[in-house]
Amino acid sequence: MTNVKESPLISVRNLEKHFGDMKVLKGITVDINKGDVVCVIGPSGSGKSTFLRCLNRLDEPTGGEIIFDGVNICDPKTDIDLHRQKMGMVFQQFNLFPHMSIMKNLTIAPMTLQNKSKEEAEGYAYELLERVGLKNRALDYPLQLSGGQQQRIAIVRALCMKPEVMLFDEPTSALDPEMVGEVLEVMKELAQEHMTMVVVTHEMGFAREVASRVMFLDGGDFLEENEPKEFFANPKNDRLKEFLGKVL
Amino acid sequence: MFEDFRQQFYLNFVSEDRWHYLANGLLVTLKLTFFAVLLGLLIGFTIAFIRNVHDNTGKLKILNFICNLYLTVIRGTPVVVQLMIIYFVIFGSVRIDKALTAILAFGINSGAYQAEIFRSGIQSIPRGQMEAGRSLGFSYFQTMTKIIMPQALKNVIPTLLNEVITLLKETSVAGYIALEDLTKGGDIIRSRTYSAFMPLIAVGLIYLVMVLILERFVKMIERRLNKNDKR
Ligand SMILES: Nc1ncnc2c1ncn2[C@@H]1O[C@H](COP(=O)(O)OP(=O)(O)OP(=O)(O)O)[C@@H](O)[C@H]1O
Ligand SMILES: [Mg+2]
Repeated sequence: MTNVKESPLISVRNLEKHFGDMKVLKGITVDINKGDVVCVIGPSGSGKSTFLRCLNRLDEPTGGEIIFDGVNICDPKTDIDLHRQKMGMVFQQFNLFPHMSIMKNLTIAPMTLQNKSKEEAEGYAYELLERVGLKNRALDYPLQLSGGQQQRIAIVRALCMKPEVMLFDEPTSALDPEMVGEVLEVMKELAQEHMTMVVVTHEMGFAREVASRVMFLDGGDFLEENEPKEFFANPKNDRLKEFLGKVL
Repeated sequence: MFEDFRQQFYLNFVSEDRWHYLANGLLVTLKLTFFAVLLGLLIGFTIAFIRNVHDNTGKLKILNFICNLYLTVIRGTPVVVQLMIIYFVIFGSVRIDKALTAILAFGINSGAYQAEIFRSGIQSIPRGQMEAGRSLGFSYFQTMTKIIMPQALKNVIPTLLNEVITLLKETSVAGYIALEDLTKGGDIIRSRTYSAFMPLIAVGLIYLVMVLILERFVKMIERRLNKNDKR
């Protein structure tokens, strides 16, 4: 956590999202600061993914604003593609590009969008691959890798753009149990390097150990948030108590 | 019996070099199919792209309407009728090369079917691919061309080749505008020699051999593609 009081990296103001008549997010206001590791938990269907996907406008908010880097990215005039380059996203289903080699998966965005040379992009990709222990798989194709390996590559793919924040939507939910650990390990290292992260997860152990803040989403808004120790030891909201009773 | 066969063969193919009708006709059929497929590819790809942009973003309303109209009309009428309308009605008063007209007609016809093939190819790509592309900062257009289309194209290659086979056989109605393709070539021989059996069976056999070769080719490609997939 930062000592100097600077303006938040992401400032969410009255964020609303409706799907037709269904109000999923009912005016969420929350700040995410540089270096925060925010874990979002909540019951299935409560809108965790929707919240996360609104942050980079993969889902279009129906109300409110999101100030990122001092710019309201909900303003139709902002170039969202430019801002998305600074927000990495990791999906439950990995979503690697199956027709490209791992290396191509990692370099296509930096080379196309940030005018990186091939050498520069590949150099950085190799550096990151080394750190997740997959340097020797650079020339393979995604479907030749295990789920855990694919998800680590997906994290690296997002990191290759040198984002300011990483958004994770249940990154381990599609994995076989024995592969969950290797992915959480990579995320934990990221957190230790002070990457700003917003993580939707069902991994309470991870939230407890790695998060700087845990937030409980239910009924369209965050009902409680706290630093992890207090959050899990002394939940105040009844819905949260009930939820924790079920999942812990 | 055998002597009879030999005589018939000589009469229909050898005498007066009548086999030229088949050889030249075959060449016309192949050229026609080839260029019509290319034109259809261009049209089909463009239409699929326009309709996909419209479905996903709501833009290009007018173009999308034109595409739908085109698809409805072309797929709702026989190709022979389209061919004759283009030749006798649209180009009725201008002298235009028959082969070119036929390429245009069959290309426009095939485009409608190829558009549907591409469209289903694009739709077969999981949503997550578009989302992953957009989340990296690619525009909709960049994601389509760099990520979605290459995968869709690969998925539809076998179906597209089957469309080539269909088109190859469909061009046999080119004779309706007096274009001397393979079928017409056989028919001309028939009208000269007054024997139907030999020339028509020969024509049929040539189509059959070409189709069988193409089908082998499709199988081979399918196996290749599956091997690379490693799922
Ligand atoms: N594109 C959509 N159209 C209509 N309804 C949607 C759409 N996306 C999500 N919803 C609805 O919005 C609600 C919240 O969905 P969301 O995926 O954000 O929940 P979640 O908290 O991520 O759930 P889970 O833990 O199962 O992933 C759900 O009721 C869902 O059915
Ligand atoms: Mg979800």
